[in-house]
Amino acid sequence: MKAFKTMFKTELKLSLRGMDMVIFAICMPLVILVILGILYGDQPAYEGAGYTFLAQSFGAVVTIAIAAGGVMGLPLVVSDYRGKKLLKRLKVTPVRPVMILAVQVGIFALYALTSLGLTYLTASLFFDLRLGGSLPAFLGAYFLVMASIFSIGLLVGGVAPNQKTAGVLASILYFPMLIFSGATLPYEEMPPVMQRIADLMPLTQGIKLLKSASLGVEYDEVLMPLIIILGIALACTGLAIRFFRWE
Amino acid sequence: MTGIEGIAGMKKTGRTGKREATIEVQDLNKSYHQRKAVESLNVSVFPGEVFGLLGANGAGKSTTIECILGTKKPDRGRISILGMDPGKDRKKVFERVGVQFQEANYQEKITVEELCEVTRSLYETTADYRPILQQFGLSDKLKSKVGELSGGQRQRLFIVLALIPDPEVVFLDELTTGLDPRARRDVWKCLSRMKEKGLTILMTSHFMDEVEALCDRIMILKKGRNIFHGTVQEAIAKSPYEKFEDAYLWYTDGDEGQMKYKGEIEEEGEWNESI
Repeated sequence: MKAFKTMFKTELKLSLRGMDMVIFAICMPLVILVILGILYGDQPAYEGAGYTFLAQSFGAVVTIAIAAGGVMGLPLVVSDYRGKKLLKRLKVTPVRPVMILAVQVGIFALYALTSLGLTYLTASLFFDLRLGGSLPAFLGAYFLVMASIFSIGLLVGGVAPNQKTAGVLASILYFPMLIFSGATLPYEEMPPVMQRIADLMPLTQGIKLLKSASLGVEYDEVLMPLIIILGIALACTGLAIRFFRWE
Repeated sequence: MTGIEGIAGMKKTGRTGKREATIEVQDLNKSYHQRKAVESLNVSVFPGEVFGLLGANGAGKSTTIECILGTKKPDRGRISILGMDPGKDRKKVFERVGVQFQEANYQEKITVEELCEVTRSLYETTADYRPILQQFGLSDKLKSKVGELSGGQRQRLFIVLALIPDPEVVFLDELTTGLDPRARRDVWKCLSRMKEKGLTILMTSHFMDEVEALCDRIMILKKGRNIFHGTVQEAIAKSPYEKFEDAYLWYTDGDEGQMKYKGEIEEEGEWNESI
């Protein structure tokens, strides 16, 4: 526990020194939220809708930080620490190398939750956000989405032969996910063809779950996204454990 | 070569003492894709001893150390550190063992103090790192980034890290490679101090003056095999030379021309240092 605490503190400091996550996980979702708030204010999501456009977007915007930490932050840091032989170094101490991975997962989760809190505060203070959904359902969906996106990142970081490959893979995953899964560009505004493509992305399914939980409405069908997200979390975690390269 | 192996064999049986070895390696074998990296190696390092593992690049020194530590899995062989199996009793063994690897392993923007704090948090019982840093002339570097230290300072820091668990055994892999002569001398001083305290040290080195100054016993590896095992004096006596460096080169390669060339380069390094 002592090791986890000290490592967490130090790794968090190092991460803050790097600034990337502050920009991509904390600032970016806020900027998107403010833009959506200014553009759409408290307009209804569609004619006759019981909730605003902003309320509808909330479930999407909160996943930006999850994506930034999960598919960008995690693969990079894991492959970096393998390349620097930090994982190997830990092998010759009483602590297992898996500890530092747990610490990193914890740090990216902290970024995501901080972003969630700030996004909610900003939206309710300045844009009069009202959510009609259930908090337990929302948090359940939120952590499930986090688990599945983080598991993708751990798998990529765990099997990529070096940091360069990990960086390329992270970019291939991150940017399309950010733009086309509905996290930044609203899914509802996409033409149907684009929606079809977006549906193939795990985060799109996650966002459907989050929207359904936050708005308290049956958004499309919930069962299918739930199965997909759960399946991805289990498969990627399993694969990461099986094929993870420590050196 | 068979003559030398015979001598080494004799030494080995003569040395197998009654004392319990701190590090005991029996019949260690390791291959990478058919190529034998280490072959039938036996090593015993006794309490308080400084043991030098020598040989050219690729002779199997690092592989041997990694197999002993369990970061590489040997194909065959029995290994014990402090009477325990480092594979099975990992947690217990590494509570009492300090390790410094050849490659620098630290986070890019970490400071000396942070690295020391994290290292300390990994162990149950630790020494206070501040006096050790002071002893190694690094106390004014606490807030410095590790990446911004000079080569010599960084190497000394890595010894400090290896000492933070207050270990009984220390593994040092090519500690002074890439250092200037003064920095090397500083590191030697630190190592001598550790030796006086009764630490058991297993080290590798490319510098024969260093080995002469520090090691109680040495083993010379060539292509993964033990070709000499004993003290530096014994190594010289069994060779046709009077200087250890010449003797070492005689052991490690038979080719006269190449040996001379290598000798010249190494001597140049030594000459620089005496200035």
